[in-house]
Amino acid sequence: MKRILTTTALIAVAGAALAEGELNIYNWGNYTSPEMIEKFEAETGIKVTITDYDSNDTALAKIKAGGHGYDIVVPSGTYIPIFVGEGLLMELDPAELPNHANIDPQWVDVKFDPGRKYSVPWQWGTVGVTVNTAIYGGDINTADVIFNPPEELVGKINVVPEMNDVMGMAIHYVGGETCTGDKEVLKKVRDVLVEAKPKWLSMDYGMIEKYAKGDMAAGVNWNGASMRARDQNADIAFGYPQTGYPVWMDNAAILSDAGNVDNAKTFINFIMDPENAAMLSAFAKYANGIAGSEEFMPDVMKTAPEIVVPEELKSAAYIAETCPPEVSKIYTQIWTELQK
Amino acid sequence: MANSSGFDIRKQWGFTPIAILCFVLLYLPVILLVIYSFNAGTSVAIWEGFSLQWYRSAWANEQVQEATLRSLVLALWASLIATSCAVLAALATTRVRSFKGYSTVFAAINQPLMVPEIVTAVALLILFAGIKVQTGYTGLGYLVVAHSAFCIPFAYLPIRARLQGMDLTLEQAASDLYATPYQVFRRITLPQLWPGILAGAMLAFVISLDDVVITEFVKSAGQDTLPTYMLGQLRRAVTPEVNAISTVLLAISITMVIAFFFLSRTKK
Repeated sequence: MKRILTTTALIAVAGAALAEGELNIYNWGNYTSPEMIEKFEAETGIKVTITDYDSNDTALAKIKAGGHGYDIVVPSGTYIPIFVGEGLLMELDPAELPNHANIDPQWVDVKFDPGRKYSVPWQWGTVGVTVNTAIYGGDINTADVIFNPPEELVGKINVVPEMNDVMGMAIHYVGGETCTGDKEVLKKVRDVLVEAKPKWLSMDYGMIEKYAKGDMAAGVNWNGASMRARDQNADIAFGYPQTGYPVWMDNAAILSDAGNVDNAKTFINFIMDPENAAMLSAFAKYANGIAGSEEFMPDVMKTAPEIVVPEELKSAAYIAETCPPEVSKIYTQIWTELQK
Repeated sequence: MANSSGFDIRKQWGFTPIAILCFVLLYLPVILLVIYSFNAGTSVAIWEGFSLQWYRSAWANEQVQEATLRSLVLALWASLIATSCAVLAALATTRVRSFKGYSTVFAAINQPLMVPEIVTAVALLILFAGIKVQTGYTGLGYLVVAHSAFCIPFAYLPIRARLQGMDLTLEQAASDLYATPYQVFRRITLPQLWPGILAGAMLAFVISLDDVVITEFVKSAGQDTLPTYMLGQLRRAVTPEVNAISTVLLAISITMVIAFFFLSRTKK
């Protein structure tokens, strides 16, 4: 009992004292490489504490309320404008961050944070199509696999229930633009989706095992999940629809009410070092957006088709964004109809 | 119509299949979760042989260790405080003459059972954020207070049930023999109430140990408990390590509930 009381007292004291040399990172669970943190602590002498969240909304709600005690947060690109709009993020000064120049040029002028004034890349990935090539041997770099599936795949398709990703993919499939409000385009999108739906088996998350076992032969999927399915079954391949496929990115940022600003800057600069960024990727299994990090990546990731986007398909990527409410409303209507 | 025992739900058509279905839906997922915690592979759905590796890896995981210790410390404090309050509340709502506003008091004590957890969580988030900014204190105290609050009804109900089932004549006899109210409480009421108190404390302990929503919103930097740690793992690849942690948590909960059952059964 006494020991437990002492421990409690210690925890309480540790929480209360915002001593020098600390850094509080608020991040998605299981997303921060422990080896990289150890290296950071060894190099700088800063004690890092990581706390988990499970959704952008939770993180936003807690940070907005204030008094959270965190220094760094890692929201998705779609949430960065909201964080910035609420004044929750500190503006970065690239002059203070020598490694800022390491950001891969394609990730500097992103729509959600032009010029990277508030956030830096953490990890990014794609939403594409997973196909079991033992069942279907045709071209997989096409959304036809989902929206106009060949005979072999009918009834064996899963679509992740992510409205923005699936709608976006369908809009690009019929030739529209991201977040379009064009009624003609959206009518086509609706028809494509409603016609394709009976050929799908399910709209669910967490299908890694089912792809691996062959219960599911194709689907809209995340690249990381597809790679894990391939680990279990070599027939699983990942395709990038050439009509357009969404890219998501999580980004590290300093909170405007951070208590350890200097340490946070040190950390932000640290993760933009190619070697450290590669450590992040090695753990989280996604690409990182830092130029030159490839050579430090584990060999299996240097060549993984789920991570290395083929050169000719790079331009088909579009960065996922939050669409205006009036457009989102129409998307939701189509989506609701689809789920009936 | 010659059924002498009257209406028997168990003899109704379809009772057995529905009962079996309910039990399967309730327990099959949990049983599968426990089975796959012993999987030798990294999958939570493809069996690759028996192994204890995930228990070992969870045991060696520093974050899991810290979160477990924090969960236990928190549950201990919360159940201690909640039970103390619950005993006082139970005495004040059973050992007194019925008073005006009794049902209001009763409802107020049991409020955490009725109010959706997310509402309490958001309310606490806003209140505590204000206090954190004002005082600069970000320790475990907030979680202790929050957990104590929502654990009170869970401790209160078994204690109150015990008090109501106790023989009042013993207390009256003690008073007749010139025992002071405190002596009556100390020598007569408390010893008889003890199983109820223990049962209430255990229930409160388990409830605190399992809580996710309120904890997620109230926790400060570095205050992940075991359930919030597990929640954080789910967005990425789930390995049987989460199953192993769940199984251990389940074992603790079941042990406590069984203890609760035996304690609340004694001297009926």
